[in-house]
Amino acid sequence: MAAFIIRRIFWTIPVLLLVIFMIFVMMRQIEGNPFRRTERAVPPAVQANLERKFNLDKPWYMQYLLYVKGVFTLDLGPSLTQTDRDVMDIVKEHFPRSVKLGVFAFMWAIIFGIPAGVIAALRPNTVYDYFLMFFSSIGFALPSFFVATLLIYYFANKLNVVPTNGWPLGFWDVDSRVILPSLALGLYPMAYFARLVRGTMLETMQQDYVRTARAKGLRWKNIVARHVFRNSLIPVVTATAPLFGLVITGTFVIEIIFSIPGIGRYFINSVSSRDYAVVMGITVLTSIVIILANLFVDIAYGFLDPRTRTSRT
Amino acid sequence: MAINPPEARTLQAPVPAPPLAESAGEPVQQSSLWRDAYRRYLRNKGAVAAGIVFTIILLYCFLIPGFWIIPGIWTTIFDIDPNQVNFAETYLPPSIEHPFGTDQFGRDLWTRVAKGGQLSITIGFAATFAILVIGIAYGSISGFIGGRLDNAMMRFLDALYGLPYLPFAILALAIIGTVNFWTMVIALTIASWFTAARIVRGQVITLKQNDYVRAAQAVGARWHRVLVRHLLPNTLGVLVIFVFLELPNVVLGEAFLSFIGLGINPPDASWGSLASEGREAYRTHPLDLWIPCLFIAALVLCANFIADGLRDALDPRTKET
Amino acid sequence: MRRKTWLMLVAALIAVFTLAAAGCGGDDDDDAGQADTGTTDTGGPAAEQVLRIAWGAEPPSLDPGKATDTTSSNVILALMDPLVKLNPDTLEPEASLAESWEVDGPTVTFNLRDDATWTNGDPVTAQDFVYSWKRTLSPELAADYAYQLYGVKGAAEYNGCTKGDCSKLADAVAVTAVDDHTLQVELTSEQPWFLGQVSHHSFLPVHQATVEEFGDNWTDPANIVTNGPFMLESWDHEASINLVKNPDFRDAENVTLERIEGSIIVDGVTRVQAFEAGEVDALDGLGLPPEEIDRLKTEPYYELYPALGNYYYGFNVENIGLDQRKAMSLAINRKIITDQIDKTGRSQATGFTPEGIKGFDVINPNSPWLPPEGDMEQAQTFMDQEPNPKTDINLFHNDAPGHKEIAVAVQSMWQELGIETTIKAQEWAQYLEFLGPPPNKAVDAYRLGWIYDFPDAINGLELFTCDSGNNNTNWCNEEFDGLVEEAKQTVDDEARYEIYRQLEGVMFDEDGEVPLSPIMWYTYNNLETDAVRDTFFISPLDQIDFTKVVVQGG
Repeated sequence: MAAFIIRRIFWTIPVLLLVIFMIFVMMRQIEGNPFRRTERAVPPAVQANLERKFNLDKPWYMQYLLYVKGVFTLDLGPSLTQTDRDVMDIVKEHFPRSVKLGVFAFMWAIIFGIPAGVIAALRPNTVYDYFLMFFSSIGFALPSFFVATLLIYYFANKLNVVPTNGWPLGFWDVDSRVILPSLALGLYPMAYFARLVRGTMLETMQQDYVRTARAKGLRWKNIVARHVFRNSLIPVVTATAPLFGLVITGTFVIEIIFSIPGIGRYFINSVSSRDYAVVMGITVLTSIVIILANLFVDIAYGFLDPRTRTSRT
Repeated sequence: MAINPPEARTLQAPVPAPPLAESAGEPVQQSSLWRDAYRRYLRNKGAVAAGIVFTIILLYCFLIPGFWIIPGIWTTIFDIDPNQVNFAETYLPPSIEHPFGTDQFGRDLWTRVAKGGQLSITIGFAATFAILVIGIAYGSISGFIGGRLDNAMMRFLDALYGLPYLPFAILALAIIGTVNFWTMVIALTIASWFTAARIVRGQVITLKQNDYVRAAQAVGARWHRVLVRHLLPNTLGVLVIFVFLELPNVVLGEAFLSFIGLGINPPDASWGSLASEGREAYRTHPLDLWIPCLFIAALVLCANFIADGLRDALDPRTKET
Repeated sequence: MRRKTWLMLVAALIAVFTLAAAGCGGDDDDDAGQADTGTTDTGGPAAEQVLRIAWGAEPPSLDPGKATDTTSSNVILALMDPLVKLNPDTLEPEASLAESWEVDGPTVTFNLRDDATWTNGDPVTAQDFVYSWKRTLSPELAADYAYQLYGVKGAAEYNGCTKGDCSKLADAVAVTAVDDHTLQVELTSEQPWFLGQVSHHSFLPVHQATVEEFGDNWTDPANIVTNGPFMLESWDHEASINLVKNPDFRDAENVTLERIEGSIIVDGVTRVQAFEAGEVDALDGLGLPPEEIDRLKTEPYYELYPALGNYYYGFNVENIGLDQRKAMSLAINRKIITDQIDKTGRSQATGFTPEGIKGFDVINPNSPWLPPEGDMEQAQTFMDQEPNPKTDINLFHNDAPGHKEIAVAVQSMWQELGIETTIKAQEWAQYLEFLGPPPNKAVDAYRLGWIYDFPDAINGLELFTCDSGNNNTNWCNEEFDGLVEEAKQTVDDEARYEIYRQLEGVMFDEDGEVPLSPIMWYTYNNLETDAVRDTFFISPLDQIDFTKVVVQGG
């Protein structure tokens, strides 16, 4: 088991370097001068000065190496367009907010999605089942910007029970502004979990060992709790990692609509203004997070499903 | 990219059914894999309904405004151009001539939504196809050759598997500089081919173990022949299902990008850009937002149900009661 | 099935708990309902003078030397005290930090008040200005707006210093502190507009010790030292920026507002939603989504302000011939654009210099190429006359609300001439780079605008000299350049307006070269609640004077 973990961790490093490289190359291809913010052209002397300041005059491989060194020392360099802030400062300030949004979205998904799937599985083809699956289909198919707009319009403007935008800024702060954005973002994973749990539970319930247990006379609810539910969790855990990436994607749009000062909005702005440092910093960071999430899921999967520990296809 | 709905179990290639023996007096139709699957599919009412709705949407998007060289039904009869600006007719309510009304430029929304759908769906299919091709290439090489190459390729893929497609798509679009049909396809493909590769590779590995493959290899068939003649056709079912699962993801992806503002240039529209415009006018013209979004949702749902139905149909084990 | 009910119960409990916690926590005081209060009892100022404003962008910098955009400018001008302020109606300079001034040819002397102080107690002196202006001009700072100070003798040379020791050039910049309260400036020529220009934020002083101690971080709330009516209380990037009244301000008794709470809301629709939910008292005039304007125009909280700015489509004269330019300009029906698309009540442009600029009546050429309702027939004639017509063109615009719709309209108008227009939207940074100058070869037409920095026509007209960094048309006309120089030397207003008229003529008269086609002159539209509407005001130069704002009680 330990070897498995170590091997997995070991492999993340070259992957990370590769991701950094890919983004580095991509970023350099984009036309546009990050130092020009107004209609005025930047005088060549000034341009040269700025480029020197940000190492942009060095050959690309030097820049890449310098950057990699920076990543591992947690110094992602200064922002090109916001001269008084380092990328690390920006990230430290904004990333936790996006994370918080994602966490709350997942909470919705887990708290409502999983029980919904369980109920539907235990009462297949009844009113409950159809009802829950109907709503999960809706949550699944409607684009999140649509849901977000409706939620704001009806709950914030018309009924006035929650604010239209904004986000509690302190790390542990929670107020009513978290409800709508996290709901809009969490609707998709919620629906996903509901369907997934329902599907796997139904399938598990048809397995031979469950039938055997029933035939032997074990109480149904024990069977559900001990065998069906636990085994159904495995695909749920597996799905979490890519879902996580999805939630991060969703934050881009949600952050714009709800005016949440998170990393998604920053990313888009930075691409627009050609702030290489910030773009790379954010993408690298997000990649690290996801790679780690994958790693975590793999390890958790290893614990949950003993079969994977020994062989690795 | 949205994640594909629950794959509750790994897919196995369907086992071909043996032909039925003739019993006295009754001519029996020889059943084949596909016919069985077809019949099973038809028994699934949800999947059938989804198939019908999906076809209707396709017909709407392609026949109403016309595509390529084929003229549209509606546009020819009523002589309407979805991009025709007409300031005398802005924001008309729904009528016979304009079933969805008109927008702020006086353009007919009924044909515009259809044309937009055409664009979204075409991008969707194109990107899905591209993803498929790259995925098949990558996955089959990796799976078939196996060994260290497979290991390395899969490691690479495993790590990239969960990376969010949106930042990469945004970067890709920024690099390319302009946004048009092809660049959207490229951007969406770059960001999402990993899943396809993974699936194909898994399939190839599973199938490699099958006896008939070994038989073919024993007889001396070259690897590419085995690949093309034996492995790929058996993964066809899986791939078809994949198309219906990936299509909604790409369409949603395109909608998101358009919403952020990286969409198709005017006056052309896609469902995503129509939704973005609709959102701004929501207070006064809610339909402008509802209509494209409902279409997106309908497409996503139908594609998923079809995929579910196909999966149940192609795998004989599920439907035993 | 008890397990199921137990699960449901847990889920319900957690849901209730979350909602309760969220409802009890936080600072969401939305006691207000819809913001369109019909009759507010405006019986005098409210007890609590707090203005909640929604900024449409995160201010990129609060450093007067570095800031270039209007959001930063407005915040900075609330934090700092300029030498002069412009009267919002007449746009004439009025005393602020400078209590009086003398103009003697190219020499301007400002007499500073002696009761102006920084927030840390230091007095504001003339040396502060000398330090600040030279800092803005310094090549190290690489300030985008350094050119604003080029009217000062020696400024352009110092700013352009590329190598070697620039300190000699720094010393040669002709701004000196005669004594603690007297600032003397020598200009390159006599410039009647200079007094107005000095109201721009680029001319503000910064506190030398603070800047030297904290470097790039001197604008952090913890470090910043200012001298204006408000102080920076907090700045959460991309989220909010809060100002609080400076009790030691020299004129504090005339400032009514106690706090300005600024939320940063970038999305236009969200801004409107926030306003209509009663969460903010005013927006900042940065723009409303065009589709909402029809509806908002009828509401009592909609405000329209004239602006000194214009919106134009430029041509790449190397790609598009003269007759075609004339045709394309004639084809644009500006009235449809202003009335049906833009809908903010802007006027159709009949020349480049907008209404509201001093001397407009003399300057405006009433160009035959800019008929308000377009003239398709004449346009067709010229199009047919064009020896090298280009029927497949690219129209570029930047990615901000409103431009796309106008582009679509113009596209359809040009289509009638047989021109196929491809509309390309780009983000601001890439867009500017693309436009050069010189513009990328693919550019046939492009959209730009110009908000005046000070209320004199030269600010806009000098954009189109041959060397101007803002001339993206490839158009270069010696006569034009000569006239610009002449105008800069002409002190008499009336005479200068005549020269401006000639400049407009070179571009837009019967025999003009039409390097661009102005579409409309700007206005600002804004949403303001009853409580602040009377005193909240956006000047034609897009500035908000917070010292005048009073929140009325209800």
